[in-house]
Amino acid sequence: MSIKTFCIISLLSLALAVYAADKYADYPVHPAASYAITTGNSGLTIGLEPLEDLKDQKTYFDTELSTKGFIPVFLVMENKSKDESFIFDKSAVTYGPVDSSAATPNLHSKIRDNTALGVLASLDTITAFVAMAKVNHASHIQANILKKELQSTTLSPAASAHGFFYVPVPKSGPREKIRLRIPVTRTGSQGSESLALDLIF
Amino acid sequence: MSTIRLFLLASLLILAASVMAQEQTTSSAPAETKPAETQPTPDAKTATDAKPAADVKPATGKLPFKAALVLTPEFCETKIQPKGSVMTKEWGSFDVGKVACKELEPALKDVFSSLTRVAAPPAAEEAQLVLIPKITDVNATTATMAFSNRELVVMIEWTVKDSAGKTVWLETVQGSAKHHMGNLFTHKKNQELIVTDSVKAAATESASKMSASPELHKLAPGN
Repeated sequence: MSIKTFCIISLLSLALAVYAADKYADYPVHPAASYAITTGNSGLTIGLEPLEDLKDQKTYFDTELSTKGFIPVFLVMENKSKDESFIFDKSAVTYGPVDSSAATPNLHSKIRDNTALGVLASLDTITAFVAMAKVNHASHIQANILKKELQSTTLSPAASAHGFFYVPVPKSGPREKIRLRIPVTRTGSQGSESLALDLIF
Repeated sequence: MSTIRLFLLASLLILAASVMAQEQTTSSAPAETKPAETQPTPDAKTATDAKPAADVKPATGKLPFKAALVLTPEFCETKIQPKGSVMTKEWGSFDVGKVACKELEPALKDVFSSLTRVAAPPAAEEAQLVLIPKITDVNATTATMAFSNRELVVMIEWTVKDSAGKTVWLETVQGSAKHHMGNLFTHKKNQELIVTDSVKAAATESASKMSASPELHKLAPGN
């Protein structure tokens, strides 16, 4: 590699590193009941929208997650009750094929490792400097994925929460319909009760 | 000087100027570090909504509970190793647990009328509320240059149980901070600063959310 080429690649890498950060658009939030896929129980409404379009994934995550084996699923949860709260524990969420009773725990933490794999696997073929810039870019993508993820929370009366789940899907070919099961605990003056809400997409 | 050299020099100067404009210079003073929340980036907020304004009660006083803050040795020893390959991995570790065990207790002491730090969940008669933190996620961005800012995001999930062991409140708080990556000599110090500032931000957020929680207020005697 000539010095000129190296300098040009270095400059491009630097530019990539500098401008990679903080360029991720927020996904628009609408009332839970306005989504095509919704469910509800006891005053809790959940709306769901899978981001199937690769262009949308590129816009909000700067990467095509479906080609890496994940589909981002946007969820909006609204508590419309006046005196009851809902405890949502994201670690209890499961998913599985719609025609099967099998349910797999949500593997939310794996997505960031997998997102980086495409970059890290190719390090041997490029210079370390360019690799650093690519890793830098990947780290910002991973941070954005984390910030956009729906987290465990307590939905107080009239409160809402939103964020993404990252559900594993085949990297290519058509995918099966998926059932997302969201368990919540309702707490209020009448004691507490466990509920499970299913969403199919 | 050849045209190519001139072009490269000009490009470097423009790039350096843009970097300096985008990112603040650093000093060794911790006060220079700005939590990410203070910067107007679209992703600076947490993934979940804040409670509606009408729903958030200002912290007018301490919650009248005898609370126990459970900081287990395992929690305090939580370290996050930077990710990457041999060629790209940053050295050192993010000692998030150690800093959390230092910062959480002072941040929460004004939230409850009584707060005791314990190393294991206490017996029912020893506390009215048991506060259990868990570090659920940590993510650090990297930066190519020593003076480039990078961000550390720390997610802490709080489980609050009553004396019967029932979960009465579950919440995730996000703390983040930005600081320069640092060079060979300043990297370690900068790594400590960004962890401290991220955890401090998460601790402050924890206190704020607990104080404003209608569920915890409802449990108070007399309500």
